[in-house]
Amino acid sequence: MIEVNPQDYDIVLKIKDESDIAVSRQMAKNFAQKMNFSLADVTKIATAVSELARNIYRYAKEGYIYIRKKEAGPEKATTIEILACDKGPGIENVELAVSGGYTTSERSLGLGLAGIRRLMDSFHIESEVGKGTAVIVEKRRRAF
Amino acid sequence: MKSKVVPTIKLYDYLLVPIQIELDDNTVERLQMQILHEIHENDVRGIIIDVSMVDVIDSYISFVLSETAGMAKAMGCHTVLCGIQPQVALTLAQMGIRLKDIITARSLEDAIDILDELE
Amino acid sequence: MKEAIIYNLEGLLEGLAGEDGIKKEWEDFLVNLADASENADMKEKIKEPLKSLMNVVNSSALLKGFEFLNEKIEGFPLAEILKVVVEVLDESKKEKETRIRELGDILAELATPIIRIWQDILLVPLIGTLDSHRAQNMAEKLLEKTASTRAKMVIVDVTGVPMIDTIVGGFLIEMFNAIKLLGSDVILTGIKPEIAHTLVKLGVDFNMVIIKRDLESALKYAIGIAPDKSDRKHSRKRGDGDEE
Repeated sequence: MIEVNPQDYDIVLKIKDESDIAVSRQMAKNFAQKMNFSLADVTKIATAVSELARNIYRYAKEGYIYIRKKEAGPEKATTIEILACDKGPGIENVELAVSGGYTTSERSLGLGLAGIRRLMDSFHIESEVGKGTAVIVEKRRRAF
Repeated sequence: MKSKVVPTIKLYDYLLVPIQIELDDNTVERLQMQILHEIHENDVRGIIIDVSMVDVIDSYISFVLSETAGMAKAMGCHTVLCGIQPQVALTLAQMGIRLKDIITARSLEDAIDILDELE
Repeated sequence: MKEAIIYNLEGLLEGLAGEDGIKKEWEDFLVNLADASENADMKEKIKEPLKSLMNVVNSSALLKGFEFLNEKIEGFPLAEILKVVVEVLDESKKEKETRIRELGDILAELATPIIRIWQDILLVPLIGTLDSHRAQNMAEKLLEKTASTRAKMVIVDVTGVPMIDTIVGGFLIEMFNAIKLLGSDVILTGIKPEIAHTLVKLGVDFNMVIIKRDLESALKYAIGIAPDKSDRKHSRKRGDGDEE
């Protein structure tokens, strides 16, 4: 699993209660706004964080979301990186979870992972049954 | 009935639900129950949900909204959503979310016109 | 070296000017070189004259000139000068890239006008090749405009788009769905075979968008529908008032 050093991140959010979902969403929104993302991208980032936080709360009961600003790629594009990790039950079929959950027709399934992937520029997931799940997503800031 | 999550307005046969609070999971679920009770008690034949103050609608919130619309439909009531912020619309569309059983309107006036036409 | 240049300047320039007869820039360069040859900031001093020289001679003439000078002048700092050449090339490359980016931005702005052609109707004529960057910027702009004008119809004319790839096609479909979420309708017009192919492969929902053959029929349709009910109601009321 991914090793995390909290000191490397600008924001560390502990997800434990249902209300932490809304809090993490707000924190992500403020941070993305400060990074000068377009309003649409700020909303996409906040929505993705909301989905990640909910997954943690629903499936693992508790976990962390780490957010940082960085420069990525050969063009040094300003990028927001979000890492969500938990020590929950893990996902048995990652492929299916990422590709399938496109519908919102069920309360528990769907996971919103496919949605998150579509909102962000890059998406990486590691999951091990019984050990936990880590999702890393990034979004680059577009010019003007 | 328990305290209301949001204050609503009865207008003609319609129930106007302006959402002006942060929608966390618990709130949106309580809102669902509130709306269903109000339909039942007030003889409403259309619900207008105004989300112009809502900054983020994620998959769960949109799911509960759709679900509420489905339940309202079962009680003979149409649901119109108005005032979706443009960036929220883009986000929902990019996630591939469809608001099942919900009609979207450009404005409150448009929402009333749409409901008028449905009868 | 300073003397070697100054005393032989005429002779050197004869040799350098060659067929293309470029003399002034070489002279400037040599004089500055001679001037700065003993100083530590020689590189800085010769940069500007070298830039002007490189603007007028091509690379092979430049190299030939340097070879010639290297032969004629003892201690000609060829290596140092070539370093400056590389620096100059690097700078001009960066300048060009910035310029291209600026032009790209201007083009993107120009190429996606959003026109309010009628009450409640927006027209978006898409022109040129769309990439995902441009498509996203356009989607944001159009959504913003649709919401702020509360347009009832958005006509997207793709006559000027030669083709789209699946990524851009995906963005377009998302944009149409987003416009629908605002409560507005999308009319798509001017679809070429290539674009029809991509859109259908991507699974565009033709119940979500209204397709019209050309801009003319799109306009007819939109304007025919446009006056919305509330406006009619109000105008009727006003009309009644006038009669009384």
